[in-house]
Amino acid sequence: MGTALEDSEIYQKFARITDSLLSPEIEDFKDSGGKVVGFFCSTVPEELFTAAGMLPFRMRGTGSTSTELADTCFTPINCTFPRHCFNQALEYEFEFLDALIVINSCDHIRRIYDNWIDQLDEPEMIHVMSLPRKTGDRQVDWYREEIAELKGKLEEHFGIEITDDAISDAIKLHNDVRRLQRELYELRKVDRPPITGAEVLRVMVAGTALPKADYREMLQELIGTVRGLEGNGDHKARVLVTGSQLDDPEFIELIEGQGALVVTDATCFGTRLMWRRIDEDEPDPIRAMAQYYVHDRPSCPRMHGDQPRRLDFLKELVEEFKVDGVIGERMNFCDIWQVEHFMTGGDLKEEGISFTQVDREYILAGKGQLQTRVQAFVETMKGTD
Amino acid sequence: MLVAGIDIGSATGKAVIMTDDEIVGSAIVQSQGHPVKTADSVVDKAMAEAGLSSVGEIENVVTTGYGRLKIEFASDNLSEIACHGKGAHWLEPSLRTVIDIGGQDCKVISISEAGKVVEFAMNDRCAAGTGRFFESIARALCCGLEGISSIENQGDSPAKITHQCTVFAESEVVTLVNEGEELGNIIAGINLSVAKRVSGMARRVGLVDNVALTGGCSKNQGLAAALAKVLRTDIQMLSGDPQLAGAIGAAVFAGEKLLARAS
Repeated sequence: MGTALEDSEIYQKFARITDSLLSPEIEDFKDSGGKVVGFFCSTVPEELFTAAGMLPFRMRGTGSTSTELADTCFTPINCTFPRHCFNQALEYEFEFLDALIVINSCDHIRRIYDNWIDQLDEPEMIHVMSLPRKTGDRQVDWYREEIAELKGKLEEHFGIEITDDAISDAIKLHNDVRRLQRELYELRKVDRPPITGAEVLRVMVAGTALPKADYREMLQELIGTVRGLEGNGDHKARVLVTGSQLDDPEFIELIEGQGALVVTDATCFGTRLMWRRIDEDEPDPIRAMAQYYVHDRPSCPRMHGDQPRRLDFLKELVEEFKVDGVIGERMNFCDIWQVEHFMTGGDLKEEGISFTQVDREYILAGKGQLQTRVQAFVETMKGTD
Repeated sequence: MLVAGIDIGSATGKAVIMTDDEIVGSAIVQSQGHPVKTADSVVDKAMAEAGLSSVGEIENVVTTGYGRLKIEFASDNLSEIACHGKGAHWLEPSLRTVIDIGGQDCKVISISEAGKVVEFAMNDRCAAGTGRFFESIARALCCGLEGISSIENQGDSPAKITHQCTVFAESEVVTLVNEGEELGNIIAGINLSVAKRVSGMARRVGLVDNVALTGGCSKNQGLAAALAKVLRTDIQMLSGDPQLAGAIGAAVFAGEKLLARAS
């Protein structure tokens, strides 16, 4: 399902950044004195790092091929994402980080903090945030305190001041990136989208590994290129992928190789990052971030009692993007997503929307079985003709 | 109208040749290390049975199974799920649930009156509860696959097998052997453990009668008996060879596609 976009220079740049951890862009940023903050999960307020003049780097395990080193301190029934990611840390692939922010998004991720401080000396600043489990006002107050504490820690450790004005400016910049990313998604609503789901994912992941202002410029150029392209119509079905830490474009390529074009998503490197905006009119910018990350952005199943809102969000996307069926992605051993897919899958089917669950490991494995599942899903939706 | 269905599975290759909805040739061969080699050999065998001399005489070919993408003389490929549903339905139109247990996968497939897949569940990567599992247990028990399959060998008090993992279950079996557990009870325990695993998938899909077993493991009568007990339903005995169900389904699809193209 190759497209004209693949050959363009601008897309190649995104792909290069997504397919590696330390890119030449990050090296340049560091050479000019910039600091890089690594963080887990899409609920960490990365605007704060931009406001501090730092590069927010979303943690991944890109390039990992095994978990032998990490498995000395994880169990075989831990999620393969933290295991691959921590394995990369033990291979010294994250030496470029100046600070690391871990969050209790799930217990598997939380264990990275424990293992990291136990086994690695760097970076010097490792901070753990506590994210509430519900999405109400009291939880927003709580998370506001957490963000304020993180701000204080950054100021103290790096000897800097992060002003409210700087935070407000960062919020505007990040919101503008969100607006552009949505613009890119809008282009996929047509019958013959000019960009595939795998290509979009490369564009999205790269956005978590670049200074945001540079990324905005690249994104603008890319959207211009995509607008000028002819669409591809050789797919059999339009699907939405919902799930978790999905940063592997090859997984999407495998789905699309079976004739299921991924036209939108509800994942942590997709709409969950950008479908909503931080309120720029709220006078307290720290509270605005807390309100956004705890409540306003598309909800993650780790948040209790919020499944109806997540279901509504999926249904909204299904309608807007003319989706034929939903694929629920889940990494092995994930209890959070298992229960979510079970509930939501049933709800979607009741509404007449096809749903299937596809379990995977963090790095692509067992391709043959995945292909069979997706092909059979497309056949049940669209027949065998 | 001469058509063929080829099912290149993980352990065996199957081919079925049909003329006007009737099987005129079929074959099953062991996998030969490369899907094309396996396909060539199984098709040759099926053609010999059908009295054909050249692949060119076959008007349309559909492939399925793990090797489905590599067979160049096929016009289409379809998933094993669609093909087992179709093939089992062709063999017995009253079926609504097909349990396909092959060399490294097991699937529960719910089909409509027309033989179309409505819903399915499939094991993930692990080959627990599939042909590979039975092979390794048969090795540990030194009883051969026939030993596990034969209905006479099923003991009255199935030994408890707690592990689903092939490797762990094999060592569990070795422990049982060395504790002096009766062979029949171990065999019954193994078949029961696989039946339980399948029952979970059946629950996900929603079990509707009539139910049949297809794939290589359908030859395991002990398993069929254990499944009937666990699922509390009869397992239909298919009139043809249930291991061929995938290839039959592919051949039926090949015929339908040929007709659709002609009209």
